Amino acid sequence: MDWQLSLETERVTAAHPESPLTTRGDASIDAVLELLRSNHRGAVLVLDGEKMVGIFTERDALRLMARGADLSAPVRTVLATTPISVQRDVTVGTAIRRMSDGGYRHLPIVDYTGRPSGMVTVRGILRYLVEHFPDTIYNLPPASTPSSQLREGA
Amino acid sequence: MLSQPLICPACGSENIVGVEQCGSCQQSLTELSLKKPRSSVEASLLRDVVGDLPVHAPLAVSPTDTVAAALSAMDAGRVGCVVVTEGERMIGIFTERDALVRLTGDLATVRTEPISKYMTAHPARIAASDKIAFAIHQMELGGYRHLPVMEGERCVSVISIRDILRYLTERISDGAA
Repeated sequence: MDWQLSLETERVTAAHPESPLTTRGDASIDAVLELLRSNHRGAVLVLDGEKMVGIFTERDALRLMARGADLSAPVRTVLATTPISVQRDVTVGTAIRRMSDGGYRHLPIVDYTGRPSGMVTVRGILRYLVEHFPDTIYNLPPASTPSSQLREGA
Repeated sequence: MLSQPLICPACGSENIVGVEQCGSCQQSLTELSLKKPRSSVEASLLRDVVGDLPVHAPLAVSPTDTVAAALSAMDAGRVGCVVVTEGERMIGIFTERDALVRLTGDLATVRTEPISKYMTAHPARIAASDKIAFAIHQMELGGYRHLPVMEGERCVSVISIRDILRYLTERISDGAA
């Protein structure tokens, strides 16, 4: 299948979204960091009831550690504005553009009520791309080393 | 109608369709003769090299710098990783992910320790002449988000998964226009 076409027709759910990792706003930053570590994730969604009120990422963790912030504070005190999200019927192409434009590595998928159902990550996108270019990407020699320097060979 | 030239995946030279070896580097082209790139994005991936991506001069720290100094540099520089260098030579890399995963325990103590204790020594690396497709392969295999671009032992740029996404989105919109 034509790849560009598939980017504009295939749903974002084809780009290996992860199940959403969630926490509540009153959890401490320390607890959220531990949640990220133990689940090998780069972002966690902060919920108020069923609704997503924020996203906490590795970048936030770095910023807080760099500034020597109090990590026992509740995570809701350090959340940025409501994160950009997409609905599950957008195309892979749209998701890639939105992540690239905003510089996001994580893009939550929400349903029409605002309840998160998944998380698109740059890694999932990369995997999707690799799957769609297997010939190009896997058959490439690691370095441009000539197999023989001279045409006449040995 | 003339067919498209065959682009050698190893050195990027154009060859006429049907040749068995690349005229400039002798890479075998027999596989490629059977398949043509299916889209312009795929053709770009076969042709473009890491050196075609924007250069991001690495943020360098020395191995004896403290964790706090490295973290502040990353925060202030708005970058996801620092390169640890001894003189001109790169000896390691420290990323945002490492900060989250490795800096556990009492942060006040950890912040005063040298970054060399927490860096990844001998990280995966690429050269400006490597194909972008190869960089993607490396990132996918190793789960890396950053790859130092080397000139010998010197790191001259760091490319990130974000550069790859941007590169691809530019190609996608080009194709659609």
